[in-house]
Amino acid sequence: MIYKWLDERLELGKFKDKFLSKTFPTHPTFLLGEIALFSFITLVITGIFLGFLYEPSMKMVSLYGAKVPSAYASVVRIDLLPMGMIIRRIHHWSAMVMIAAILAHLMRIYFTSAYRKPREINWLVGLALWGMAMVAAFTGYLLPYSQFSVTATSIAYYISKSIPWIGGWLSRLLFAGEFPSAGTVPRFFFMHVMLIPLVIISLIGLHMVILIKQKHTEPASNRHRKEAQGGKRLIGIPIWPEQTVISLSFYLFLLFIIVLVATYVPLNPIEKYGPPSPGTPVMRPDWYFLVVYGFLKLVPGDLSFSVAGGKITPETIGGVIFPAFLFLVFALIPFLDRVREPQHYIANPLRRPFMTSFGIGGGVFLCMTVVAGYIDVLHITPRTMTVYTIVATLAAWAVSYALLRLYNKR
Amino acid sequence: MVDGNAGSKEDRKGITRRRFTLGILVASAAGALVSVFSLLKVLSPEKKGGGYVSTISSGDKLVYAKGAAMGASVEASSFKIGDAMLVYPAGKSSNPANLVQLIKLKEDEFKPPTKKGLTDKGFVAYSAICTHLGCTVSWVRDRKSPGASYTECFCHNSIFDPAEGAKVMGGPAPIPLAQIGVKVAGDGSLVFTSDFTGPIGPQV
Repeated sequence: MIYKWLDERLELGKFKDKFLSKTFPTHPTFLLGEIALFSFITLVITGIFLGFLYEPSMKMVSLYGAKVPSAYASVVRIDLLPMGMIIRRIHHWSAMVMIAAILAHLMRIYFTSAYRKPREINWLVGLALWGMAMVAAFTGYLLPYSQFSVTATSIAYYISKSIPWIGGWLSRLLFAGEFPSAGTVPRFFFMHVMLIPLVIISLIGLHMVILIKQKHTEPASNRHRKEAQGGKRLIGIPIWPEQTVISLSFYLFLLFIIVLVATYVPLNPIEKYGPPSPGTPVMRPDWYFLVVYGFLKLVPGDLSFSVAGGKITPETIGGVIFPAFLFLVFALIPFLDRVREPQHYIANPLRRPFMTSFGIGGGVFLCMTVVAGYIDVLHITPRTMTVYTIVATLAAWAVSYALLRLYNKR
Repeated sequence: MVDGNAGSKEDRKGITRRRFTLGILVASAAGALVSVFSLLKVLSPEKKGGGYVSTISSGDKLVYAKGAAMGASVEASSFKIGDAMLVYPAGKSSNPANLVQLIKLKEDEFKPPTKKGLTDKGFVAYSAICTHLGCTVSWVRDRKSPGASYTECFCHNSIFDPAEGAKVMGGPAPIPLAQIGVKVAGDGSLVFTSDFTGPIGPQV
């Protein structure tokens, strides 16, 4: 009845034919992007809850007799509410899962060469989504205004300030003046709850529209099935109802796991960190920043030089040039690995020795920079660690390349 | 204004409308550019005297910066060799640039470039703000041999040697921590005797 009423006005039937019958290939690794999307939905929902209770202000208030910033006090109050702390943990865990899923999705696309023509644009949109997810996570660090928040944000402030020529201006723009300033928390709050989510939602929309237009790549095994039509029509299941049922049950299962983990594993215990105070304890950022964190430890302090009146410091090299270079390499991949004909089937990574071994070498390099974040507990000097990193990277690349060549000869 | 080669009246009208629209577009673009510059300036406020500028003056009393005795006068007698504490000048704890690490070493341990004239009875003091990215440095104490203790920033593991003018022994810090003069007063408390000997905070 209601469907008929709506259909007469909105032509739902047409919409159903056009979008809801889109085919999904049935392959388990094709669900990785959906994990990222679902985590984002969880983030929005828990974020709305937190947004109702959080106070983006540096005004000093009294909390159990101590003078603390009201941002910190409001997060302590959230933690004391029934379900408050668990919602905050679900929010934080979902952010970690979202970035992990984005990376796993990216690795799947990379190793199956699904970024090739005609999907270069969506590869770039995906990279932008990854970057924005990291920025969103980073702006979220500051909001509880604990000792951890201030340390992490202060480091980012000095990294952005170290950029030659525009650093001073840019850091004051991002941090609302010299950090710590009374304006930093409100500005980060606005970016975290408004600006960045808007950009992310727009990018997700673009990612999806392009996906629907171009269709998924198909598992290579589909090529030999007799229904195969070479990318014109996919073999798989429609969005409605089959894929929706799968996705929904999958989302509920993911939510169950996250809630379970959030219940038992503490995360960002701001009551333990306390409000900002003199003294910086050993603290490491969340896992996805460990690459940059580790690399900052490797850059020697005397490595600085001047270019055209701007001073390039170790902080700029480790905190700006290095991550920018990583993103550039990722962005260039589909433009270096070119094909003439549009590709509709995923490639077998074992059959592509160069790209696969390059990916393995790159992966080992990133893992080694993560290890570099722990040189203080491993008692390794930065110089030795740098040698280890280079050796491990080249060895992984060379060995995997040799093995894959051998495999393909047989 | 009107193109001589134009045909009918309608055509000429079209061209004029196009040029008019183009003119408006160029003018608005120029205006937007100008206002964007001033907007960005508004959004990027410049604070007078930004960065780490210490307000310590000679004669300021040292007080504990943290712990149970926070705000109380530092007592020289409570320090053993190899001890270190974070301290502030009394009444000036709101400025993070004033945070200082006070260390007691053996008097004969100091080597240049430590300024011996700025030490007293084994007490030496350095800025506690890491010159790499502005974290507060910590004291890593070797209980077996106090002389092997050192100052470390736990953010990216820059290590400084307090017996040798806080020179960088490892890690990414570009320059040593700046020294500041201290002496033990008659009543057993400590006072500052100079300003910092060099730049403090991140060198960016």
